[in-house]
Amino acid sequence: MHLIESLPTGIPYLSLIWLVPLLGALVIMFLPKEQKQAMRIISAVVATISFGLGLLVFFAYDPNAAGYMGTKMQFVEKLDWVPQLGMSYLVGADGISLPLIVLNGLVIFTGTFISWNIEDRVKEYFVLLLLLVVGVYGVFMALDLFLMFVFYELAVLPMYLLIGIWGSTRKEYGAMKLTIYLMVGSAALMIGMVAIYVVGGTFNMVELSQRVFSLEFQKIFFLPVFVGFAVLAGMFPFHTWSPTGHVAAPTAVSMLHAGVLMKLGAYGALRAALWLMPNGAQFWLPGIAVMTLMNVVYGASIAMVQKDFKYVIGYSSVSHMGLVMLALASMNETALNGAVMQMFAHGVMTALFFAVVGRMVYERTHTRQLPELGGLMKVMPFAFVVFIIASLSSMGMPGTAGFMAEFTIFTGVMNQYPLVAIVAALSIPITAAYVLRVGYMAFMGEVKDPHYHDLPPLTWQEKFSGTVLAIVVIGVGLFPSIIMDYIATGVQPIAQRMIDLAGR
Amino acid sequence: MNFQIADFTRLIPEFLILAIAALVLLGDVLTRWSKGKEALAERTGEAIAMTLMGLGLAFVMVLIQGGFFNWVQIGDWKFYNFSIFQNLRTSGLDGSILGGAFVVDPLTHIGRLIFIGAAFVTVVLTGKAKPSNNPAEFYALILFATLGMIFMTAGGELIMIYLGVELTSIPLYVLAGYFRRDPVSSEAGAKYYIFGALSSAILLFGMSLLLGLTLMNGQTMNATPTSLSSVKTAVELAFANPEGPSQGVAILGLLFILAGMAYKVAIVPFHAWSPDVYQGAPTSMTAFISTASKTAGFFLIYRVLVTGFDAPSIMGTAAIGAPTSFGGWTSLVAILASVTMLVGNLAALPQTNAKRMLAYSSIAQAGFLMLGLVGTQRDSSVSLLMYLIAYTVTNLVAFGILALVEDNVGGTDFSNLNGLGRRSPGLTLLLTVAILSLAGIPPLSGFFVKFYVFIAAWQEGAKWLVIFAVSNTVISLYYYLRFLKAMYFAPAETEEPIKVGFGPGIVMTALTLLIFGLGIVPTWLYGVLEQATIRIGAR
Repeated sequence: MHLIESLPTGIPYLSLIWLVPLLGALVIMFLPKEQKQAMRIISAVVATISFGLGLLVFFAYDPNAAGYMGTKMQFVEKLDWVPQLGMSYLVGADGISLPLIVLNGLVIFTGTFISWNIEDRVKEYFVLLLLLVVGVYGVFMALDLFLMFVFYELAVLPMYLLIGIWGSTRKEYGAMKLTIYLMVGSAALMIGMVAIYVVGGTFNMVELSQRVFSLEFQKIFFLPVFVGFAVLAGMFPFHTWSPTGHVAAPTAVSMLHAGVLMKLGAYGALRAALWLMPNGAQFWLPGIAVMTLMNVVYGASIAMVQKDFKYVIGYSSVSHMGLVMLALASMNETALNGAVMQMFAHGVMTALFFAVVGRMVYERTHTRQLPELGGLMKVMPFAFVVFIIASLSSMGMPGTAGFMAEFTIFTGVMNQYPLVAIVAALSIPITAAYVLRVGYMAFMGEVKDPHYHDLPPLTWQEKFSGTVLAIVVIGVGLFPSIIMDYIATGVQPIAQRMIDLAGR
Repeated sequence: MNFQIADFTRLIPEFLILAIAALVLLGDVLTRWSKGKEALAERTGEAIAMTLMGLGLAFVMVLIQGGFFNWVQIGDWKFYNFSIFQNLRTSGLDGSILGGAFVVDPLTHIGRLIFIGAAFVTVVLTGKAKPSNNPAEFYALILFATLGMIFMTAGGELIMIYLGVELTSIPLYVLAGYFRRDPVSSEAGAKYYIFGALSSAILLFGMSLLLGLTLMNGQTMNATPTSLSSVKTAVELAFANPEGPSQGVAILGLLFILAGMAYKVAIVPFHAWSPDVYQGAPTSMTAFISTASKTAGFFLIYRVLVTGFDAPSIMGTAAIGAPTSFGGWTSLVAILASVTMLVGNLAALPQTNAKRMLAYSSIAQAGFLMLGLVGTQRDSSVSLLMYLIAYTVTNLVAFGILALVEDNVGGTDFSNLNGLGRRSPGLTLLLTVAILSLAGIPPLSGFFVKFYVFIAAWQEGAKWLVIFAVSNTVISLYYYLRFLKAMYFAPAETEEPIKVGFGPGIVMTALTLLIFGLGIVPTWLYGVLEQATIRIGAR
C-alpha cells in the first residue's frame, strides 16, 4: 500500500503548505516589535511545518497512480474563484512540482536559521520573507494560469523591500532594477495570458493543455509567455538584474532568490509555455537554445573575472540557470528531466553558497573582495568544508546533486543540438576553474588580515543550516533516484505532447 | 411628462441629502454664533456629526432601496422580509421620473453608493483640518456636490445631465479654493473654476447640437426631445442617411460632449488643470475630487455613450484591420486612452511632491479606465464599473493617508514621507497597500480590475491598446515604488509616530480591507454590476 492511501483524506495538504507561512506572517505582524526572539521562533516553526508538510506530500505522492483529469496531478483542490472569467483556485502537484516544493521548504527552513542575526526591523523582515515564500509555494502548485500569476507577483514584490531595506552594495539600485526587470517579464506574461484566455475561455491549465491552439496563435503567443517567465530565470539578454540583485540582497533572500525564485521562471516556462503551446515551442526554441549559450558560457566566463565573492556566485547562477533554459529548449524527455533535476540541484547548492559567502564570511569580515580575503580555512574550517561541497556540486562532480543534473542535461541536449551541446560543455571546465579560483583565494593561503583570527565563531544556526544543505547535496547525489523517478513521471506527459503535436 | 406621487419615494436618498445639507447650514446658525476658537471647534464638530449621520442614513437607504439586502441571506431567512425593509425596497423600484429625466436603475444605485460613501470618507478625513470661519458651509457644499454627482449618474436627459454637472462643479470650485488665504489653494480654486466654466460651455454646445438634431428629425411627438432615447433615435436616423447633413451634426455633438466631459474627468489633452488643482486643494478635497467627481464623470460618459450612441455605425471598432476600424467613437476613446495613460505616467515620473504625483497617477488611471469604454459588450461595461469602484476605494485611501500625514508633518513632499515606515508602521502599511493596488499588484483590487479591463478590451479587438497599456503599467511601477522607497528606505528624521484620530483610522483600515476584498473575491460585485449593465443596455 502506498503512503497516499493511508493519509487521512479531506485535508487540503497543498493549501496548508502555503497557508501556514501566511498565518505565520500574520501572527508576526501583530506582535509588538520588541519581541524579536518570538518572531524568529515563529518563523522557524512555520518554516519547519511547511517543510514537513512538503516532505509528507512528497513521500505520499504515488508516481504510478493516475491523477486529476488524466494527468499525473494529485492532491488536487479546486474551488471556483471567478467563474465568469474561468478563474479557479486549482492546485495540484506532480513529479515536477513536488521536488521544487520540497526545495522551497528546505531553503526557507535553512534561510530562517541563517537570518537569526537580523536585528534591524525584525518584524518586517520575517513578514516579507514569509510572504515571499507563500508566493513561491503557490506558483509551484497552481494549475490555474491566473492563480499562478497572482502568486508569481506575490513572490516578486517583497523582494523589492527585502533588498532595499536589509541589503548591501547599491541596494536601492539593485532592488529597483530587479523589480523593473521582473515586471517587464510579468507584463509580457500578462499579454500572453489575456490572449490565451480570450481564445481558450478558461485559465485552467489542465483544460487548456487538452485543447490544441492554432499554429499561428502558438507562434505569436508562445514568445511573450516564455520570455515573461524566462526573465525571472535570468535568460540572456534579460539576466543583468540577477547578479546585481543577488549581491545587494541580504543572505537569506539571496538564498531564496537564487535558490528558488529563479526556478519559478524556469518552472513557469515549462509549465505554461511548453505544456500549453508545444508548437510555438518547436518554432522558437531552437533560436532560444543558441541564446542560452550566452548564459551558459558567457555567464561562466564573467564569473571567472569577478573580484566580489557574491558576484561570482551570482554569475554562476546565470550560467547554471542557462543550462536549465538550454535543457528546456532541447524539448526532449531526457533534457527536460535534466532541467528539473538541475533546478533542484542548483537550488540547494546555490543556497549553500550564499549561506557561506553572505552570512558566514561577509557578515564577519565585512568585505567580499577576494583580494582582501584569504586563509579563511584556518579561521572557519566548517565554512570551507561546506563551500567545497557546494563547489563540487557546481562543477558537476559525481556523487553530488549537480552531477546527475548536468549529465542528464548534456545527454539530452546532445540528442537535439549536438553542436550546441559541445559549445555548452565548455562551461564545465570554466566552472571548475572559477569555483576553485574563489575557493583558493578566499580560503587557502595565509590569513590576509590578522583581525580574521578574532572573528566570532560560527553559531549553531549557521552550522545547522550548512549541514542540512550539504547533506541534501550529497544525499541526492548518491541517491538521485529519490527525485529522478518523480521528475520522469512529471516530465513524460509534456514531452509526449511535444512529440504528438510535432510537425503540425 | 408628469410627476407622480410614487416618484417621491424613488428620490428619498436625494431628498435626505438635501434636507441634511439645509440642516447643517441652519444648525450652524443655531449653535453658538461666535468666532472664538472653542466655538469654532464646537460648530465644526456639530457640522461633521450631522453630515456623517445624514450620509450614513442615505447610504443605508440606498442599500435598502437598491435591493442590495436581497443578497444578505441568513439560512432561508432574507433580510428584506422585514416589512419596513420591504416597503422601503418597493418604494425605490427602478423606473424613470419626469419622462426619463431622472433614471433610477442599478447604475444609479451603484453611483449613489459610491458618491455617498466617498463623501462620508472625505468628511471623516477633514476632522483635523484647519478650522475655518464658517465650518458648516464646507460640509454643506460637500453634500451639494454629492447630490450633483447623483444627478449626473441618474440623468437620462441632457438638461438634467447639465444641471448635475454644474451642481457638482460649483461646490467643488469653492471647496478646492477653500483656504483662501493660502495662495496655492486659491490658485487651485480659480483654475478649476475657469477650466470648468469653459468645459461646461463646450458641453452645453454639444448638447445644443444634439437637441437641434432631435428637433430636426421630428422625433418629439412622444418623447422629450432632450432625452437620451430621443438622441439615440435621432442619431440612428442621421446615420441611416449618410448623404444628409445631420450625420455631421451628430458627430460634432458627440465630440463636443466628449470634450466637455473629458475636461471634467481630466483626460489628456484636457488634463492641464488637474495637477494644479489636486495639489492646491485641501488634501481631503483632492481625495473627493479625484474619486467621486471623476467616477461621476465616467458614469455620465458611460450612460451617454451606451444609451445614446450605441449604434454600430457610430461606434466603429478599435480593432486594427476590421472594415469599420477607426471609424467611430470607440477608436477615439482608444486613442485618448493611450495618450492619457502615457502622458499621465511620463509626467508623474519626475515629480517630487507626492500629492502632485498622485494627481498624475489619477490621470494615468483614467487612461486605464477608458479601456473599459472601447466597446459596450458585457465584459467591457462590467470591468469599467468594477474599475471605477476599485479606483475610488484605492485613491481614497492613498489621498486619505496623505491627508493624515500632512496634518501632522505639514507637507506632502516625498521628503515628508521619509522614514514613515519607522514612524508609523501601521499607517505606512495602509498607504503601501493603496499604492500597490494603484500599481496593479495582485492580490489587490487594482490588479484584478486592470486585468479585467485588459481582457475586455482584447475581446473588443483593441489588442494594440492592451499591449500599450500593459507596457504602461511597467512605467507606472517606477514612480509608485518611489513611495515605498521614501517610506521604507529613507532614514527618518524623528521616531515620533503620526497621530491619527480614531475615526480616520477605522475608516482607512476598513477601506484597505475592501481593497483586499475586492481583489480576492471580485465575484462579490459581479452580479450587481452585471445587472446594472444589462439594464442599461450593454450587450
